[in-house]
Amino acid sequence: MNRRFWLTGIMIPALVALFSVLTPNGASGQANELAFVKGEFNLHKLLKVIRPQADEDSFDTIPWQISLWNARILAAKEGKPILLWEMDGHPLGCG
Amino acid sequence: MGRVSAFADPEIIKLATEKFIPVTVDDWYQRRRQDAEGRFFIKVANQGPRKGQGGSTRQGIYCLTADGELLAYKNAGNSSEATREQLLLALAKFEKLPTNRRLPGAVAIEPFGKPDANYQRTPPENGLILRVHGRILDKKAGEICNASCDFPGGGKASRDFLWLTAKEWKALIPKPELGFSYSLPVSVTKRIARFCLIDNTRGEPEFWKGTDVRKADFGLKVTSITPEKIEVSLVGNALLADEADLIASKRGYECSLIGRLTFDIAKGKFTNIDAVALGEYWGATTYTQKGVRPGKNLYGVAFSLPPMDRPGDRVSPQAAREWNEYLRPN
Repeated sequence: MNRRFWLTGIMIPALVALFSVLTPNGASGQANELAFVKGEFNLHKLLKVIRPQADEDSFDTIPWQISLWNARILAAKEGKPILLWEMDGHPLGCG
Repeated sequence: MGRVSAFADPEIIKLATEKFIPVTVDDWYQRRRQDAEGRFFIKVANQGPRKGQGGSTRQGIYCLTADGELLAYKNAGNSSEATREQLLLALAKFEKLPTNRRLPGAVAIEPFGKPDANYQRTPPENGLILRVHGRILDKKAGEICNASCDFPGGGKASRDFLWLTAKEWKALIPKPELGFSYSLPVSVTKRIARFCLIDNTRGEPEFWKGTDVRKADFGLKVTSITPEKIEVSLVGNALLADEADLIASKRGYECSLIGRLTFDIAKGKFTNIDAVALGEYWGATTYTQKGVRPGKNLYGVAFSLPPMDRPGDRVSPQAAREWNEYLRPN
């Protein structure tokens, strides 16, 4: 019953050593299930892989307002039309 | 799914930034809210083809004036060409308006009045906001890397937020004692498990039910103390599945979580939070079936403290539509 394939191919001794350093006493009783291994599953490497790459979210360089009412106030003040992007699920925070 | 929309087009970005006041909202709230903003939106939307019959969606791209005239509309979010056409059409119409409707300061905006608390979300007072990104992953030559997906944009990072109340994040403040161990508040553990440890890379998924949380166990431990700051590690495991029998389950995520928090003693606040969940994900829900990878695959979720310098950093978490459940997940 080993669905945790990364555990099977990764250094269990290193995992146990890391666990002994990081796991709070009593907060987690799952020492043998910790899947991260220092070096191979490095926190900062993973963050870099998972977070958007530099060119991935170019739509987010637009200075979006998130309130139509605030947009009205700004549009009136600056003498510009409003561009409203209305979606089911917020474009800046939904998937 | 803004990352594959027309708003990734450089010319449209320039037009939106320089010629318009750009605003983006979740139609789920906007079409329901019973306040000045909701009434204003409905008045504008009713000038176009999306009348919202039966409470249905009114999503699309609207160009409008501050006093509420619809200049152009199209539900063309993925087409750069159609979007550009609408923006240019709207600008041409705007320029033809009398000056008392378009010059700076010409239009007076009435007071907002009372917001509809049922459909307006604001971050908890003195709360803490984390940015959350998910991504489908692969492993090549021993290294974790991006995976590809047949669904447009499905290989890119998803976006969401995690909101903590003041009481919740203050419960994360460590004792200045090396090795001190403590757990996340139950509400935070459940919120992370049900609403963040989810594959939302191909659209809106159905969130995990309380009963789908088979295990969620996240702990903190003080790893270093200086006169200025306290470093805390975060580790834990979670198992989410729609069936207790994992062999029979159609959807699940089995992952571990690791992170690091920095608490600034003088400022009395966390100045850095980085965490990652990594594990195997399988299955999808009604609206996320397209492009789902067969079997079990690597999936990661990254948490971080955003700079909070833009309105977009205050977008409500997707799961906050069900506000009471978000704050007090079962």
